[in-house]
Amino acid sequence: MNATAIADKEPAPMPRKRRRLSWGALLGFALLLVVTVAMLSPLWFMVSTSLKTTKEMLAFPPTFIPETFAWSNFAELFTNSDIKFGQQYGNSLIVAVSSVIGTVLSSSLVAFGFARYRTRGSGLLFMLVLSTMMLPYPAIMIPQFLLFTKIGLHDSLLPLILPNFFGSAYIIFLLKQFFSTLPNELYDAGRIDGSSEFRLFWNITLPLAGPALATVSIFTFIWSWNDLLAPVLYLDSQENFTLPIGMAAMMSSKFRLAPWNLLMAAAILSSLPIIALFAVAQRRFVEGIVLTGIK
Amino acid sequence: MNKKWLSAATCIALTTVVAGTACSKGEGGSGKTVTITHYTIDSPDRTFVEKLIPDFEAKHPNIKVKVTKAPYEQFDSKLQSAIAGKKAPDVTSHWGYGGFMEYYSKGMLMDLSQLLQDDGFNAADYNIPENVMDIYKVDGKTYGVPLNSYVTVMLYNKDMFDKAGVAYPPTDYEDKSWTFDKMVDAAKKMTVDSKNLADAQYGVDFGWGERDQRVQYFGADVYSEDTWTNGGKPSKVNLDKPEVIDAYKKIYGLIHDQKVSPTPAFSKSVSGQFGDPFLSGKIGMSVVGSWSLAASNNFNFKVGVAAVPQGPNPKVRSVLYVDPLFILKDSKHPKEALEWIKYLITTEVQEKSIELSGGNPPVNQKAADKYYSSFDGIDPAQIKQVYDGAYKYGFESYNHLIDNYSQINELFINELGPVENGDKKAEEVLPVIQEKLTKLLERLNK
Repeated sequence: MNATAIADKEPAPMPRKRRRLSWGALLGFALLLVVTVAMLSPLWFMVSTSLKTTKEMLAFPPTFIPETFAWSNFAELFTNSDIKFGQQYGNSLIVAVSSVIGTVLSSSLVAFGFARYRTRGSGLLFMLVLSTMMLPYPAIMIPQFLLFTKIGLHDSLLPLILPNFFGSAYIIFLLKQFFSTLPNELYDAGRIDGSSEFRLFWNITLPLAGPALATVSIFTFIWSWNDLLAPVLYLDSQENFTLPIGMAAMMSSKFRLAPWNLLMAAAILSSLPIIALFAVAQRRFVEGIVLTGIK
Repeated sequence: MNKKWLSAATCIALTTVVAGTACSKGEGGSGKTVTITHYTIDSPDRTFVEKLIPDFEAKHPNIKVKVTKAPYEQFDSKLQSAIAGKKAPDVTSHWGYGGFMEYYSKGMLMDLSQLLQDDGFNAADYNIPENVMDIYKVDGKTYGVPLNSYVTVMLYNKDMFDKAGVAYPPTDYEDKSWTFDKMVDAAKKMTVDSKNLADAQYGVDFGWGERDQRVQYFGADVYSEDTWTNGGKPSKVNLDKPEVIDAYKKIYGLIHDQKVSPTPAFSKSVSGQFGDPFLSGKIGMSVVGSWSLAASNNFNFKVGVAAVPQGPNPKVRSVLYVDPLFILKDSKHPKEALEWIKYLITTEVQEKSIELSGGNPPVNQKAADKYYSSFDGIDPAQIKQVYDGAYKYGFESYNHLIDNYSQINELFINELGPVENGDKKAEEVLPVIQEKLTKLLERLNK
């Protein structure tokens, strides 16, 4: 009866052991299944709504599987001249990719400085950098808007990209923590071989920081991809609009039905880059969480 | 020493300012092409104006129109930062959360009186009734030109009426037998109050105006009389008066005592966070703004339109939502902006706009006939009758008349939430709102 007791006396016969495992596993799987269904049902609803016609979208009780699959919803996003989905998608990609490049380059350099060099006041300086995390966007919104308008960048994508080239306190903090864990011996060895300080950063630190860089790239990409307020403030011309503006506009009329089916189709398409990025960076990303979490 | 520097600095500043204004005046000279900006919500019923621009520019070769837009939620933020950054649009309206009075008291609007007078503008030429034109006057000065006029209507689900064997409500406001109590009786016959979402349905959803204005229908008023003459600053709040308390009891009694109206939980589960539960086909009668009519061609059921029943207040039975166009104070081209506004309210363009916008009600009464006949399955004569009655028994939306309305409205929404959910009684909550609102108004209107 007692499985462990049997196992103590003699090596348990294979089938028995497997049965014991399968009971526990069965329970585990059942539990997982319930949680999975609960987690996936909104996702399923998104997919099913994206394939409904307008009439069916309004039906109550809602149908879980569309009666007719309106694949044309996806095509309409690109063909309806009022929506301009393709153009917005492109703009969002430009902004998000540039933001990732800018943030990773600038923040990693600053983080390297804070992690590897100590001087009088460097602690204070670091605190100062961190304190900028406390400033919410609405507090700097108007001054920043005035600045970019003065230098003539209003209604272009640049005000959304440029600030990223000046570092982000949160990312600097994350990277600094990671860089501090790299052993000093590596740098000493580099210096003995005559490497410049920049080379220590470029050829030693960055290649070793893969997981951390993957993590911050994903964070930055998602922030930039989802940002709505800043693009709304800066962009005036329709051809410069980013995805969040377009999608917010779809449900912004109180005088009409929101086209939920189109909106869900747009949501599916707009989550693709994030899913792709996550798939590519997943191994490193998970490592990154573990590493930054422990240290 | 200090004073010398100060005066020198002032001198320089003044010269720059003078030079600056001189320059900007130069730009606006006639003969040259000027560009004006029209700022609006990014939704098809507003951005359709883009399609009118080629025609307008052909008729006015020296004016170019540029449309800028933002989603509804961000409309105010973008406008504020644009004004701060000296990028203010020329023409816009209160399409965000804030209302006319808020724009007015923040000093955002241009006084159009002189401009209109110089131009020889006459509202009658555009078939705009004088009393509608008066809505956007303060102290005799005009700050806005009406563009669209929405009213409160009753929409009803004909299928639900047929099934319950109840007679359709009338469209004539003079039919005084159509009363609030009669509406409740009809609602009772259609209501199935059940925990099971698939079975449950409710007779009436009484969304008359915003929460603070709703008591007006019952002959009470949340704000003191002076609000309507002093620029929308209530000197006193009446939430402690018995007639106001009784009105709120009646309103929320529909949900919790009579049980003929849906709870917020029901509404959300059949129509989402911001949706209208009427669209789900589970509501018999819905008292709403007439913008809901625009979607009626997509409904899954037969829809009818009726008069709002006669309530305890015989004078006010409908809330009017007249949307104006403003010229902002910083506009460098007010004359050209006015040309654009006048173009938008001509009979021809207002008629064209109905179809382009998908059913915006024109303010131009000549164009209105076309509006009345643009809904599938609803007799144009009935819509006309309902609109006429609503104008006669209408009161302008508080949103357009009271200063700082977005904050006041938010207070009501938050505090009345527990009452709507049935967690608290109206009479428990009203003293709290009275106190908070009095303090809020004292702070805002100091």
